Amino acid sequence: MPRMSGDPETLRADVRAWLQRNVPADWRAAMTGCDQDAFVRAQRAWFDKLVQAGYATPHWPAGWPGGGRSLAEQKVIYEEIARADAPRLILFFVALYHAACTLIEWGSEAQKREHLPGILQGRVWCQGFSEPNAGSDLAAVRTRAELRGEHYVVNGQKIWSTLAQHADHCLLLVRTDTAGPPQAGLTYLLLDMRAKGVSVRPIAQITGDDEFSEIFLDEVKVPVANRVGAQGQGWAVAQSTLASERGLTLVELSHRMRYALSRITGLMRERGVEADAALRRDLGRLAPKVDATCALADQYLLKRIEGTEAPGDASIVKLHYARTLRDFTALGLRIAGLKGQYREPFIRGGGMETGNWPFDFMNSYNWTIAGGSDEIQRNIIAERMLGMPREPKDWRLSGERT
Amino acid sequence: MTPELAELRDSARQVLAAEGLAAPEDKTWPLARDLGWLLVAVPEAQGGLGQGLAGACAFHVEMGRSLCAAPYLPAMLAMEAVIHAGREDWIERLGSTALATASLADATDTPLTISDDKVVSGAVTAVPSADRAGHVLVCSAAGDAVALVPLAQPGVTLRFRESWDTTRRLFDLRFDGVALDPSWVLARGDEARVLGRRLATHRDFALAADAVGGAAAALEMTIEYLKTRRQFGRPLALFQALKHRCADLKARIAAAEALLADSIVRVGTRVHGAEAERLGKAVKHFATAAYAAVAEDMLQLHGGIGMTAEHACHLFLKRALLNEQLGRRSSYELDIADALLQAS
Repeated sequence: MPRMSGDPETLRADVRAWLQRNVPADWRAAMTGCDQDAFVRAQRAWFDKLVQAGYATPHWPAGWPGGGRSLAEQKVIYEEIARADAPRLILFFVALYHAACTLIEWGSEAQKREHLPGILQGRVWCQGFSEPNAGSDLAAVRTRAELRGEHYVVNGQKIWSTLAQHADHCLLLVRTDTAGPPQAGLTYLLLDMRAKGVSVRPIAQITGDDEFSEIFLDEVKVPVANRVGAQGQGWAVAQSTLASERGLTLVELSHRMRYALSRITGLMRERGVEADAALRRDLGRLAPKVDATCALADQYLLKRIEGTEAPGDASIVKLHYARTLRDFTALGLRIAGLKGQYREPFIRGGGMETGNWPFDFMNSYNWTIAGGSDEIQRNIIAERMLGMPREPKDWRLSGERT
Repeated sequence: MTPELAELRDSARQVLAAEGLAAPEDKTWPLARDLGWLLVAVPEAQGGLGQGLAGACAFHVEMGRSLCAAPYLPAMLAMEAVIHAGREDWIERLGSTALATASLADATDTPLTISDDKVVSGAVTAVPSADRAGHVLVCSAAGDAVALVPLAQPGVTLRFRESWDTTRRLFDLRFDGVALDPSWVLARGDEARVLGRRLATHRDFALAADAVGGAAAALEMTIEYLKTRRQFGRPLALFQALKHRCADLKARIAAAEALLADSIVRVGTRVHGAEAERLGKAVKHFATAAYAAVAEDMLQLHGGIGMTAEHACHLFLKRALLNEQLGRRSSYELDIADALLQAS
């Protein structure tokens, strides 16, 4: 389709008009209480529409369908998606950002040719980084990959892999060397989820959803051609995977949060508590916090555009968003009162403030734990931004023998 | 921030740093006046630097950083009033020689009136450095008149109110039937109402900026202290409990800075009007609350030394606590909630 980098405000009008025509009017109702298969079907339909319009891949390089948009234009698209309250593309997030950006930056020509068109056709990717004993401490990954001829043979277990039960491929971080510093022994592989020895077990979550899965790897053969970067370069490749969405998600989510303030005021009216001074005061405290979150996310993206990002900037945005989301959902929970404690079906693919407040509150832990917990973000801010010293490596509990 | 403004800001920071924290008003006020800092928001056509609200806020941030005792904030409010009223004679006077001060708070027990035959009665509160000012900017309680009232005349009573914050000297002012020369009246009727709202929004932004600067300086000092102070054979900055608190404070300050910058852009040149008012209230509330929280933790993290008068901790804490109480009479939180509930 024809498209050129141009005036973001012209793009805004186009995107807005397109969204008005194309966001399924009844998607919230359809996704409320539906099963995961119905959700997957709806995600695919929405994804296809976005791909055809060229709005799914604005961050891809020029030459790819929909690609070559400036970061400012990408921001416009996300802002408009938030404004239109369109479904979030959860199923394709890893494919569009993590997989695509990693391949574009590190992949061989053959890997790009093989996988990038597949992403546009709806191939689903998941991420295989975390393990039961490598969460915050990602470099502690233990899943072993042994080079045998033309294959790596992989054994181990991955966890917290979003929608891995629907994935065709996995971005897999494995250990190929145990000597030397932990980061140096990591290697990055592209795993076919249908390969022999791969099994996936969804994890029942506190929300009633089973969005996350465990992946078990038992003598899984991965061709050497599916390695991204060199052997031992996995840590560096993984860093670009993690940096791939470049703050856009938080622009979208913080703007969604600002629009969702009307859900709080609507709920206050519905519950007949709009005159409650304590709740009003809480709302009056929350709203500037939400505004500040949007301002932080916007400012961070601007820094990325200008190339002035400093260490810790991303952590500040994420930490502030996560804390504000917790406050936001907690206020919804309090306003909903006892009535909110009776279980209602939840919406799949909505924002973080769906109006099912207990669900939203529990789901907010996604942001305070996943993607580097609040505690990790605080370490990063303290150490890399404020210049406070790092934890000493040597430690011993008192009374413990060496 | 334009490169030009960043340069002005940097030079102000340097000058104020050379004077030291909470330097006496006798030194910093002449500096501010003589270096032309009062002209930062004056349009270029009227001999100013044309930096608008962004410029004013950039300087208020520096005043906050250095705990500046100069009555820069009220002087800038008076300047804003004469700019808006198109009084070029006053712009020049206030920009170079005379000090006109202004009230930093709405609250007063005796509402101020300016009658049609220009007699001023009533009281205003929290007016910095009134004893060295030639005039005070007043808005009538009903909003129908804005005027500059000369202070050295019969019927005007100044009462110094010793505040816990020693970096500002506040006065209560009483006017007992003070006759006003017509040329002192800057606006009447609807024009005065617009100007009054505009000034209240400017005051919100100025207090927010002062808080942002103070909070940033307070956290920097605290971190320096934690890096130097050793207990249990290691610097305090190594303890994760303290690092995490500092990180939370940093995130809160960064959020306040981002909100201030974003709100200034959103307001643009439309400082009047409901949207600017809403933005001003939000940023004033958010930034002054953040400053108070940072200052509260600053003292705690300094330990015993923070409780001594010789250390600067208490100066930040007291200025932060005062900033939270200055501004509008109504509750910021409830105002913000009202606007949201009405809009949806």
